[in-house]
Amino acid sequence: MLLQRTLSKSNKTDLYLDLVELASGLLLVGFLWTHMLFVATILISQETFNGLSEFLDKYYLSYIGIPFIIVVALFHFVIAGRRIPTRIQEQRIVWRHAKMLRHTDTWTWVFQAITGMAILVLASIHVWMVVTGWPIRDFTSAQRMESFWWFYLILLIVGEYHAGFGLYRQFVKWGWFPRKPIGYITKVITAIILVLGLAAMFVFVQLGGAL
Amino acid sequence: MADRELTFEIFRYNPQKPEVKPYLQTYKLKETTGMTIFVALNQIREEQDPSLMFDFVCRAAICGSCAMVINGRPRLACKTLTKTLPARIKLFPLPVFKLIGDLSVDTGTWFRHMSLKTEAWVHTSKTFDPKAQEERMDNETALKIYEAERCIECGCCIAGCATANIRDEFLGAAGINRVARFMLDPRDERTPAEYFEVVGSEEGAFGCMGLMACDDNCPMELPLQMQLAFVRRKMASIGIGYKPGKGIKLA
Repeated sequence: MLLQRTLSKSNKTDLYLDLVELASGLLLVGFLWTHMLFVATILISQETFNGLSEFLDKYYLSYIGIPFIIVVALFHFVIAGRRIPTRIQEQRIVWRHAKMLRHTDTWTWVFQAITGMAILVLASIHVWMVVTGWPIRDFTSAQRMESFWWFYLILLIVGEYHAGFGLYRQFVKWGWFPRKPIGYITKVITAIILVLGLAAMFVFVQLGGAL
Repeated sequence: MADRELTFEIFRYNPQKPEVKPYLQTYKLKETTGMTIFVALNQIREEQDPSLMFDFVCRAAICGSCAMVINGRPRLACKTLTKTLPARIKLFPLPVFKLIGDLSVDTGTWFRHMSLKTEAWVHTSKTFDPKAQEERMDNETALKIYEAERCIECGCCIAGCATANIRDEFLGAAGINRVARFMLDPRDERTPAEYFEVVGSEEGAFGCMGLMACDDNCPMELPLQMQLAFVRRKMASIGIGYKPGKGIKLA
């Protein structure tokens, strides 16, 4: 029995942290997928894209949504990030362990931590670019995509990867559905969103010169 | 297949002789029909190197003593046929557990600690009456308990768990499965709050990151994902309504 462990034990912090990780994660996946569907409206027409953006502006949805998502993302970063081994020796153990085990879900978790870090940096740059280039219209997006398509390609892949596997892992942990089908479903949705994102990117880059 | 010559690379280290650093030793062996890693190791020890340390008792996947890392995966030596492996086979002792020497580890101390921590016995206020008829239990409950009881305590789930590899206090799938077994048992009179004290923390249900190496590597194919999720859901629903006692301030 250790004094510091005994006195700090048996509270509900660990439960709350787990629930906040779950709730913030679900919110962010919901946001990301909605965001990508909104972006994909460019596939229908430029008017639809602009119309949707104006609608979100008119009812202040962008002005509430963006700061809210930033706060949720920061919470998620700190709380889900508590799982990441921070000591060098722990890092060595985990990497050796993953290489030894050659186990898919262990590797996807290693990449989950890496993509999480990448998103923190890349999404911050993305938000900065969008907010300083406000409002969001077909021409502002097309310009961004034309100049920074490689940046957005990376962000799209790491973002969708993190969201897809994150959702899968939460379902696995809480056991609401069997593991194999839920893995399949999250992969299919991720693939659809990726295709939509890539298609929208392609259209924007095409538009880039025309606008 | 039976004509293959197998090359074993085996981890050698004796904590009693720390001056000899850990190294890999190579042994060659002719494969025979139906050969398991257990058979191969015994043959190596008998014919080539009597100093090689490894554990076994039952050679029938019941005792759980012969678990080791076989080509990167935690497996039972007695249940792993060499024909399922390439000709080069690498053997390591299980991580997490105390190393006795070479492939032999002490899982007993870990499991005893886990049993004490989870208080793995039926908590009842009833006094046992040897003359009374045994209380009946419906078949469904009995089968559910039996499913969890099939654990042979080999330690493969713990060795495969990334969390258990870096967090000493984590109970792992074996520990959480044990708690699930008592939660299912109607004879156990522990209150929800008492269970929460045992596993409602990062040392228990909330320490699991969902990597499922336990589920994928259990030699007994226990439904560990569902057991972990069951305890996690249960702990969440208990925990939300649970009021812990006031803490003591240090200053």
